[in-house]
Amino acid sequence: MARDSEDQDMETETNGAAEGLDPTSAVTGLPQKRFYRQRAHSNPIADHSFDYPARPEDVNWRALYPSIQPDQKVTFADIGCGYGGFLVTLGEMFPEKFSIGMEIRVKVSDYVMDRITALRHKSGEAGAYKNIACLRTNAMKYLPNYFAKGQLEKMFFLYPDPHFKRAKHKWRIINQALLSEYAYVLKKGGLVYTMTDVEDLHQWIVQHMEEHPLYERLKEEEEQSDPITPKLYQSSEEGAKVVRNKGDHFLAIFRRL
Amino acid sequence: MATIFFADPELVIGHGRRVLFVNPDDLQLFKEIELPPDLATCGLKVADSKEQHCQHEQQDVAAAGSAKQSSNTASASASKAKAIEVSIQNVSYSPDRQLLAITTTGGQKALLLYRSRMEHARLLSVRPLARASSALRFCSDGSSVLVTDKTGDCYQYDCVEVEAAPRLLLGHLSVVFDILWTDDQQHIITCDRDDKIRVTNYPATFDIHSYCLGHKEFVSGLALLTEQHIVSSSGDKTLRVWNFIEGKELLIHQLPAPAVRLQVQQLEPEKVYQVAVLFYDHVDGVAIYRLERSSGDNWAITATTVVRADAGLWNICNFTLTGNRVYVTGAENECLAIKAYDIGSGETSTSVPDGWVKMVLRGLEAEGVAYLPEDLSVWFKKRFDNVSDYLERKKRRIEEQQQQKCG
Repeated sequence: MARDSEDQDMETETNGAAEGLDPTSAVTGLPQKRFYRQRAHSNPIADHSFDYPARPEDVNWRALYPSIQPDQKVTFADIGCGYGGFLVTLGEMFPEKFSIGMEIRVKVSDYVMDRITALRHKSGEAGAYKNIACLRTNAMKYLPNYFAKGQLEKMFFLYPDPHFKRAKHKWRIINQALLSEYAYVLKKGGLVYTMTDVEDLHQWIVQHMEEHPLYERLKEEEEQSDPITPKLYQSSEEGAKVVRNKGDHFLAIFRRL
Repeated sequence: MATIFFADPELVIGHGRRVLFVNPDDLQLFKEIELPPDLATCGLKVADSKEQHCQHEQQDVAAAGSAKQSSNTASASASKAKAIEVSIQNVSYSPDRQLLAITTTGGQKALLLYRSRMEHARLLSVRPLARASSALRFCSDGSSVLVTDKTGDCYQYDCVEVEAAPRLLLGHLSVVFDILWTDDQQHIITCDRDDKIRVTNYPATFDIHSYCLGHKEFVSGLALLTEQHIVSSSGDKTLRVWNFIEGKELLIHQLPAPAVRLQVQQLEPEKVYQVAVLFYDHVDGVAIYRLERSSGDNWAITATTVVRADAGLWNICNFTLTGNRVYVTGAENECLAIKAYDIGSGETSTSVPDGWVKMVLRGLEAEGVAYLPEDLSVWFKKRFDNVSDYLERKKRRIEEQQQQKCG
């Protein structure tokens, strides 16, 4: 929830499309979030007009990563990447890895795409940010359409929609049935990072992951010594907001067995 | 829906609250099953332990079970649900035909398990279902049966401990249309409305073995061919053969229309099969393909027979094949109708015994009773565009802004 809490009461069409203001910041040259706001929830079960590949072989990765070679593969996936703050950090931390952000909401995913384009442009000849990209898709339904068995090394579920109502628990991005699907696209030894500021959801995630025979939770020392851990707290602007709010956040990392 | 399948020598037809087991070649009725209007009278009750397994939408089960409970537990929704008559959804035999499973929908959703004999069937248990079933399949030794539903869940019901609560084995994100369980019980294969065929290991059902991906619409039916091969039918107007162990597509055959039902008969083990599909909204109702394996992973369609089945003149819903005929069910003048066609000629069969259809319809108590087949159009994905409008507005905003800069 924290990831997008600023947008909770924003209805889809409330931003000032007709204001004629520049959606790109004059200061940073990056797109401004306020033109891409969208409410935080999306029904992941419903039909949407997604164009998705029938199978992983059909994905044109070159269209997303201009420098990717045929023998290179996407190995990090940020599921529900929101405005892409953490995705950008991933790209900087792991220049040799290809990371994908997956986001279901039209405007939010469009923002991330524009942001990456702007970052690449700004980077100029340094050629940074060519290792990150964003897809508008329903990760709950289409992961096997994009990734082969055992392709991913790391998956991130940061501040997922808590779907508080019991009837909507099937919509949660972590649920019993979906954990098998994540295990399918993860390679053995791969890691799943989860972070939430909703304690109930944290307990739900830990319970379901620990019950699933293909995952084990990392020991606390391991969680704390993972170089990504401090970034999970700090480097996404959404995460930073939680810190400002002094909200509690709950981290759990799991290994695919 | 009207269920129909052929288990030589019986043609099994389920409709409303009745299942008939008839001889297609004479007026002999092998046996019949009639469900009571209220399944509580034959033992349906709410299983408390089941609630852990079916965490959502308990109302259906509660409604189903509350009929026999004390009146203070009966809710308004229960009485409302009870008003919808129970009707048979799926019927399946265990491979050795010792057991028979029936699922119901309507006011009371349940799985009924019978011990089957030539002359009669003895009810063993009635267990509540969380939701209406979408497919039903016994394992090869008949020790359990799998039930899938419209939300994509697949439950295993024990057939030895016939009252045991179900176990949730796996879940899809959309309705599962068909389910297979390999003879060696190593794999469960399911297909869904999101174009997917999933191969799940058994008993380690948390471990997905492979996906067979390539279909571009709902996958309506599956059938086992060999220990490694399956055939699938889809709304994308294709029939495909797969090596499901490797998740590899071996054959793609274009169909004239979306396929909504699949029936396969083995003509020569491991080698020659008769693959029949029911089309959605097409001038030809049914097509029958001869599928041959030349070697290893090499498969080909070598012959096609089309059965028009008076498509367009009535609302076709389901079908099955016997050795020489295609039986098609549907609605004509808003009542259940059953028609038989010769496989060879594709024409209306002239060899069906006089009075056979009338006997079957009477036996099902379907004469003069309004019947509306399932609306198959809802299987197709609804394409609604929530992107181009946004992109158009964004483009306009950028243009306006550029004009302001220039002006």
